[in-house]
Amino acid sequence: MTSILFVMLKSPHENVNLELVDELGKGSKKAALLFEDAVYYAVDKKQGKHLSEHVDEVFVMADDLAARGFKGKATGMFKEIDYPEAVDVIMERYDRTVTI
Amino acid sequence: MAKTMVIHLRTGSMMSMDSNVAVKLARAALEKGYNVHMFGYGEGITVIKEGQDPKRFPNVGKEIGELAAKGMTVVVCETCCMARGIHRGEEVKGTKVGSLTNDFSKFIKEGDKMITIAR
Repeated sequence: MTSILFVMLKSPHENVNLELVDELGKGSKKAALLFEDAVYYAVDKKQGKHLSEHVDEVFVMADDLAARGFKGKATGMFKEIDYPEAVDVIMERYDRTVTI
Repeated sequence: MAKTMVIHLRTGSMMSMDSNVAVKLARAALEKGYNVHMFGYGEGITVIKEGQDPKRFPNVGKEIGELAAKGMTVVVCETCCMARGIHRGEEVKGTKVGSLTNDFSKFIKEGDKMITIAR
């Protein structure tokens, strides 16, 4: 089974088309890697649940959570990571990345 | 042979934190022993302009120059540069004004994984 890492930079309150994840990721293992304002998915229950319905795994940049006053606040399936681990996820654990 | 990460940056150095994300990813990848190629397109070309002097923000141009000195390959699209009044010779030392055709296509061929930083 192929695997796709969806890179997300925009806030859940901007126009983010998660249906794209379903379309592009059909039949693949899917994960999201959240940078910048996309980290709000990890601390907004409703938006977080919405994202979790579209992917199997979610990685959240700890730097960006801390910068926004949410250090250590990611819960559930949202796994906080640092930059070395982000490189590992990109280069070793997923077949390719798609930025949405 | 070390794997290669290609970073395709399409956001300007002052528009958002995107270029800082790109720099931090590149730094972490270099430190883990990967090769890193960065290609700037559209507003992404602005990161290589020499003489950037952001008073209260990270100096992306300076950081990219430092990473280029550590082995990162940095190329930006000449057409996009000219459209914005930036010419060859005005780029940060160690970076290059190049093209989609010659450079980006080569990066994609050589790269093992590519990440696009764009809005």
